[in-house]
Amino acid sequence: MMKLDEIFATRKWVGNPVRRDHDIRFVKGEGEYVDDLPIECTHVAILRSIHAHARLGKVDTSKAEAMPGVLAVLTGEEVARVCKPVPPRAITKPATQYVLASGKVRYVGEPVAAVVAESRYVAEDALEQIEVEYEPLRPVVEIQDALKEDSPLIFEEAGSNILMQDTLQHGDVAKAFREADLTIRESFKMHRYSSTPLENWVIIAKYDKPSDSYTVWANDQQHGRSIVNICNMMGIPNSRFRLIVPDAGGGFGIKLALWPYIVILCLLAKKVDGPIKWVQTRREHLLAGTHAPDCEVEVEFALKKDGKILGLKFKDIDNDGSFIHTAGIYGMIKFATLVGAYGIPATEAEMLSVVTNKGPTVQNRGVGKPTMIFVLERMVDIAAKQLGINPVEIRMRNFVQPQQMPYTTPSGEIYESGDYPECLRRALNLMGYEDYKRKQEEWRKQGRYVGVGMSASIEPGTSNLGYYYTARGTPEYMGNAEGAIVGIDYDGNPNVMIGSVDEGQGHATTIAQVVADMLAIHPDLVTVHTRLDSLVSPFLGHSGCYSNRFNDVDLGAVIMATKKIRDKMLRIAAHALQTEPGDLKLKDGTIYSVSGRGKTIPFKEIAALAYKKVLLLPADEEPGLKEIAYYKSAMAKLPSKTDFNVQITHSNSVHVAAVEVDTETGLVKFLKYVIVHDCGNQLNPGIVEGMVIGSTVHGIGAVLLEEFVYNEDGQLVTTSFMDYMKPVAAGLPHFESGHMVSPCPYTLLGTKSVGEGGAIGSLAAVANAVEDALSPFGVRVKSLPITPEKVVRAVKDTKVI
Amino acid sequence: MYPVRITINGKEFAHEVEARLLLVHYIREKARLTGTHVGCDTGNCGACTILYHGKPIKSCLMLAVQADGAELTTIEGLAGQKGLHPIQESFLDKFGFQCGYCTPGMILSTKALLEKSRDPSEEEIREALEGNLCMCTGYQQIIDAIRDAAVKAARDAAAEKQPVGASAK
Repeated sequence: MMKLDEIFATRKWVGNPVRRDHDIRFVKGEGEYVDDLPIECTHVAILRSIHAHARLGKVDTSKAEAMPGVLAVLTGEEVARVCKPVPPRAITKPATQYVLASGKVRYVGEPVAAVVAESRYVAEDALEQIEVEYEPLRPVVEIQDALKEDSPLIFEEAGSNILMQDTLQHGDVAKAFREADLTIRESFKMHRYSSTPLENWVIIAKYDKPSDSYTVWANDQQHGRSIVNICNMMGIPNSRFRLIVPDAGGGFGIKLALWPYIVILCLLAKKVDGPIKWVQTRREHLLAGTHAPDCEVEVEFALKKDGKILGLKFKDIDNDGSFIHTAGIYGMIKFATLVGAYGIPATEAEMLSVVTNKGPTVQNRGVGKPTMIFVLERMVDIAAKQLGINPVEIRMRNFVQPQQMPYTTPSGEIYESGDYPECLRRALNLMGYEDYKRKQEEWRKQGRYVGVGMSASIEPGTSNLGYYYTARGTPEYMGNAEGAIVGIDYDGNPNVMIGSVDEGQGHATTIAQVVADMLAIHPDLVTVHTRLDSLVSPFLGHSGCYSNRFNDVDLGAVIMATKKIRDKMLRIAAHALQTEPGDLKLKDGTIYSVSGRGKTIPFKEIAALAYKKVLLLPADEEPGLKEIAYYKSAMAKLPSKTDFNVQITHSNSVHVAAVEVDTETGLVKFLKYVIVHDCGNQLNPGIVEGMVIGSTVHGIGAVLLEEFVYNEDGQLVTTSFMDYMKPVAAGLPHFESGHMVSPCPYTLLGTKSVGEGGAIGSLAAVANAVEDALSPFGVRVKSLPITPEKVVRAVKDTKVI
Repeated sequence: MYPVRITINGKEFAHEVEARLLLVHYIREKARLTGTHVGCDTGNCGACTILYHGKPIKSCLMLAVQADGAELTTIEGLAGQKGLHPIQESFLDKFGFQCGYCTPGMILSTKALLEKSRDPSEEEIREALEGNLCMCTGYQQIIDAIRDAAVKAARDAAAEKQPVGASAK
């Protein structure tokens, strides 16, 4: 963390809930999402596999091609000829997959062929005319099916359905279990869900024949990596591929995986004149637009009688479906929160990535950390009950203490700051925890089943991208970094361009606040270009909107570039005012001399010197007022199995939920919901509040409502928002939040992560509350979601949700 | 092909359309008003909410030919020439949006709600938003915005009722 007084000339804007006037277009219906761009296009529709697992025979497109209005068709056979397969990031077994199915289909919804036609309606008609020969194979749907000895192989070349398996030990695990008074072992099942951005994937692609190059507009969330992947797979130089990302209607990780479709569109665009567009339908999105993997988890705690946790053994089997690019990364990311908020000194983690005939998986909000915190916080409650210790007390006895900060976990993750016990105390006070517990007995006598549950969690931010290669070898990407360009226009006002994209978090406003305080002007004067254009934007391989990295590396780059431009302005001003830069200060769009009365120069005049009257510049000063800076996180460790950090910053929070469960209908009703969080310094509390609550509702959707349900044939039966249930306003609690501020010493502004926290901490809080409510029935929560059906069955019969 | 005449935000549009063309596609592609969005295709998400003769409907559940002769208001027509409608101001003031994709539908549902109920409770607001999904905000700041808009509207109405000359200069 730099001294804030060195960064800022004023302290008017950063830290205040500045209105998002930089995004005023959104309330006027003037947002410019890809599908809104005024580009006349022809339209793409995609034929998708109707089988979960089948050999792919002939794909006869002749009838479709002969239809009036159909312009071009692409099949997997052609893709395999002209394009490289999808590159894997984490798996260690060989597995070949192309962007269109080739030889085999591996999930319902896998793209088999694509059509361009004059309208989307005609393109859809043409899909019906494509004849596909399938030879159905036995589908492999659930993890246990995939692990059976006689299970069909999804990728024959891998020789197994386990594509990644690794076990990492840190600390003296044997000693922990030897010295334990008791051990507790439990297994949990997590379901498949997705944070489903409201805008589906949309891509426009245009091929330019004279230059043999492609221009693509897409709502891609991690363009830095996508551009590398696309150019490599298509075998084209970077200079022949331009990607433009305008406004995006939410991402949540799900838009990290759309780039294979950019390859499909580029291959099609080359066959026709003019731009072509594909707009994913919601059914396509739910079927094949990626999920968080379902997983089976086994956890074992080594415990002392007083509740102290000595060691943790963890086995995580992820059902990664069949998208090999991201398969295997959920296990490794869990290390960011492997010990949660607790000082557990020894850990063993075994991770398996299993392929099945379910749909693709990608990094959904929180990426494995929701599961990790869910099982940890369930285990802590289970241990408390078994030991006869209050759930608050067992947490207090195990928390990493504020005086231990910065605290390094056994695997190397560095928790930089925070007061976890105080966070819990505040949350319990806000909840009126004792009061609820007192009334609980009374309510039970009246037949009302009320429970209170809590969850203390860590929300890591800024991925150190090398981490998931520890099973695979040398990483292709390491650390995390971003670029920014800051210029002063002729009129003296700044403009900013960053290398990353915005999924709706209001980056432009936050950047404007920072630049305004650095230059002592009003944020309205700062123009921010959040629309990425790979031709001009200063992006890196890391660039993208993910892992809560914006306020660390994105703003880091903005600050460094603004500092460069400010220094140059001060040098020019010093020359003009015949003084030294140290004598100068900024105020209201001018630079004035502290010692020289009335000696002042407006930014506009400095710009005039830099752009027009260049002979009046200091002799060694370059003309122009535009600076580029790249900023990298200094805290990312080199990849190593023995000592690594998955993420750089670590916010923390406590969620406490009070619920009432109707044992007849199985419905869970919120009585109160409290969140106390600590994300270090807040730059715009209005935006932070929205992130905290919004992410919590993602978790509540996952814990109570949402599930991708597959039948035994591998058919997804939840393919619309009628049966894949999202939370609506009714039924949600009014969240009460409190915050603490423990600045991060390793980010320029003392910020930590904001964005995933609620999606991580809410699952266990609600599950623990439901188990507490149903404790008279001895019901235990070992899987999600907690649907009414499961509740009623558990109360009446099974005792297990 | 069928001829349709549809008035959107006070302007009349006339086109020949296929019978199967959805109204939302008509609005976006023929009238080129892209503030009305498509989020789910099944009438669940409300991103395509518009006002049809003043009442909120989901324009993905209606064919363009069914709207022949209708008067529609989309988000682009809400403020008229005045810059921002007070509801839009409230959404800005209270951080009632993130990615903005659901926002036009939310704002038009709010307009319909506030015409029906001047002082809606939090519960009423939550129920009124049943047909509008927001994936970003968790709804709370949207509800704050709607309450804010209701309070401001009540204050403006009270100010208008003051007798002439009562307002201090």
